[in-house]
Amino acid sequence: MPTNDSDTLDDKNSITVSNKPHALLPFLQLQSATSLSRLYQSPSSCLSIFRLLDSVERQLVMNLLWLESAISLSTMGAWVVQEKKKFYDDALDILTRLHILHVHSGKLSLNTTFKTSLRHAITGGGSTGSFGVPAEKDEKRPPMDVEGLDGYALERWETILHFMVSSGTGQNPTRPSQGVLYLLQRSGLMSNQQGSTPQITSTGFQFLLHRPHAQLWDLLLQYLHMAEERQMDLVEVLTFFFMLSTMELGREYLTENLSQTQKAMLDDLRDYGLIWQRRASSRRFSPTRLATTLTSTSPSLPTSTGMTSSSQQGFIVLETNYRIYAYTDNPLQTAVLNLFVSLKYRFPNLVVGSITRDSVRKALNNGISAEQIISYLTTHAHPQMRKFNPLIPVTVQDQIRLWELEKERLKSQEGYLYTAFASQADYEFVLNYAKQLDVVLWENSAKRCFFGSLEGHSNIRNFIERRISGAV
Amino acid sequence: MDGSHLSVVVDLSPSQWHLSSLQNQPYPLDLSSFISQLLAFLNAHIASRHENSLAVFGAFPGKSVLLYSSADPPTETPPSDANSFPAFRLVNSTIMHNIVQHLEALDDSSDEEAPSALVGALTKALCYINRLTLEFNASTANANATEGLEPLTLSDPRVLILSVSPDQTASYIPVMNSIFSAQKLKVTIDACQIYGSETVFLQQAAHLTGGSYIYLERRDALLQYLTMAFLPPPSIRQTISVPTQDKIDFRAACFCHKNIVDVGFVCSVCLSIFCQPVPVCSTCRTKFPIKTLQRLNAARPSLPLTSASQSRNPSVSSTPQKTNGRSSATPSRPVETPLGPGGLPHSGSINAHNINGAAHHGVQNGLGSSG
Repeated sequence: MPTNDSDTLDDKNSITVSNKPHALLPFLQLQSATSLSRLYQSPSSCLSIFRLLDSVERQLVMNLLWLESAISLSTMGAWVVQEKKKFYDDALDILTRLHILHVHSGKLSLNTTFKTSLRHAITGGGSTGSFGVPAEKDEKRPPMDVEGLDGYALERWETILHFMVSSGTGQNPTRPSQGVLYLLQRSGLMSNQQGSTPQITSTGFQFLLHRPHAQLWDLLLQYLHMAEERQMDLVEVLTFFFMLSTMELGREYLTENLSQTQKAMLDDLRDYGLIWQRRASSRRFSPTRLATTLTSTSPSLPTSTGMTSSSQQGFIVLETNYRIYAYTDNPLQTAVLNLFVSLKYRFPNLVVGSITRDSVRKALNNGISAEQIISYLTTHAHPQMRKFNPLIPVTVQDQIRLWELEKERLKSQEGYLYTAFASQADYEFVLNYAKQLDVVLWENSAKRCFFGSLEGHSNIRNFIERRISGAV
Repeated sequence: MDGSHLSVVVDLSPSQWHLSSLQNQPYPLDLSSFISQLLAFLNAHIASRHENSLAVFGAFPGKSVLLYSSADPPTETPPSDANSFPAFRLVNSTIMHNIVQHLEALDDSSDEEAPSALVGALTKALCYINRLTLEFNASTANANATEGLEPLTLSDPRVLILSVSPDQTASYIPVMNSIFSAQKLKVTIDACQIYGSETVFLQQAAHLTGGSYIYLERRDALLQYLTMAFLPPPSIRQTISVPTQDKIDFRAACFCHKNIVDVGFVCSVCLSIFCQPVPVCSTCRTKFPIKTLQRLNAARPSLPLTSASQSRNPSVSSTPQKTNGRSSATPSRPVETPLGPGGLPHSGSINAHNINGAAHHGVQNGLGSSG
């Protein structure tokens, strides 16, 4: 019995430990050691990167943080439970690739720059000013309050999403600014092929079903890629993101200490709703909740809600008869639902629809997968739904997956049909050769023809030609 | 709620800290350097995750106080500064301010210092966690509760007790009750005895709730001990283990004189513990036959009760029965926990020789605001 207990415990734990690494970490791993070292000079960046790490990695960093000398690998390894060695090794690997950890002749030590900066972050002190220079209180013009900032961020963010979701539906939602449009097109979320109105792409549809936090990071990663092309200094861009993430909501900061690159970023970030400024030329700015929760894992961004706290926990009730009740008055949420639900009625606070074969097929054609639909429904399920196990009725889940399979019933493949063989022997001779190459997709000996794939064609043609010339 | 919750109970008995800072001690540690290392540890906990929550309780002589709680942060925020993280600054300055305020308010007119209200602080910490659990359940419109299922619990709630005082035998029953409540709330209790003798009750508290107990030998390495042993929440401890106890002192205190006993006598009706055979149980008023009493008295070890007597009388089987003393109940933890086979390190193996930097890196914000 004890073994059983520990097994289930292990399973549960492995789920929490083996979380996917944060989307930013692979990007950081691609950067050169020198730029990472420059990045690690700022305590706020170190703190933010530390937070993005996985729990085991964080503990390893903390274990080494206060040590002055290197520690041998075996000493560190002695602390690891044998069965979980894989997590430990993975953690070491990721930390090494981020250049946070050095393994040198069997000894482990933290990157000196990283260590100094993280110590500064935790104990305070230093003179880097990496947490942003707060502005003095201005009696005449008090800073925007937290609610105002939330409202602003929400409005900006939903403008972007709403623009994406309703492109091509004939509605004319507010267009976000040129910078945002450019970013959306660059990232492949929207295409600009037909005339001047951008169309949402299949990646764009998938993007809409992500959690808000993941969406934000998706866009920021695209922004980083774009910054590379615009010859912006990546380290300064990253430092600014991390600085924003450690700032305090509802406080104003001065722009004076920012570098030129960072000042240029203010315009872009204002468009995304990450910061608020009274005027474009203002010398102060306030980060919004989108910015200050960048390094948290909580989905409690203002965007995930409609507007009230009740919808924060989900608003969708799905019944076994495919009926869906969405308690929302948010046009964006309604529009997203409209991607895969055929909507029937709308009330001031409620939208009723049903999941049908046609509505799901429409979504599948747009490039959305069945798994994404199901995960969206799970994420936004109403608290009332949470008492069911499984949360989404099995019939509906299975049917959505079946509809997806249905779409994949017919598979097309390019190739050549070989026909009109002179004799059965000729036919079989060529067929055998084609079978050896493993390029036969279909054969019918009664009609003396077979279908070969595109790759095998040149070989088969050569073979037949050689055979003909040989026979002659 | 994704983050883990940590409640820290800090023993702030001025006389014990004075003793700890004396130079004739091996590795003297004074209160201010203790607090700066503690604050660095607390900051590390908040740094780990945006959602991590924290509460700090101080055990002063005769009273226990909530020093900081992330659920109700103080309204007045300290002035901003470009070089430190706002959340850390808030924690540091609040805790420093409260400690200084309460230490100054201590009444030092009487010579005798009241014992630290460690149990009071522990109880408050448990009540606080219970409150968080209730709020958490209420906020998720808990469907489980209405269905009559087990209410949700917070993930990984923990209590860390940093003690410098010896066991107060009078508080045996409240300590045990706290342990049982902690088990019910699925709270892990970690304990660290920073100064003074080993404490029996804290060892038991850590053992019974699956926590870790450390008797701090190298006081100059406090921060490293705290980080390696007490920073990881229970979920990580399954991957990176924390020090375990080889021996646990399972002795109980008797109900009659509040002494810690090696051999005790247990009421067969209500399980109260006594250091000597009694004709009537003081808790449940059960009367025991005079013959049994005589036999038990004859079987008692002739030495005083406090010394570790090994004499046993196997014939004692009728009421009242003997309890297990220390010598018969020292299971080593690695055998019981699934962590065993790896030959995991003992608390003594935390490397202390190379961490001199820790103590010098005082938390500048916190200490700055106090002086």
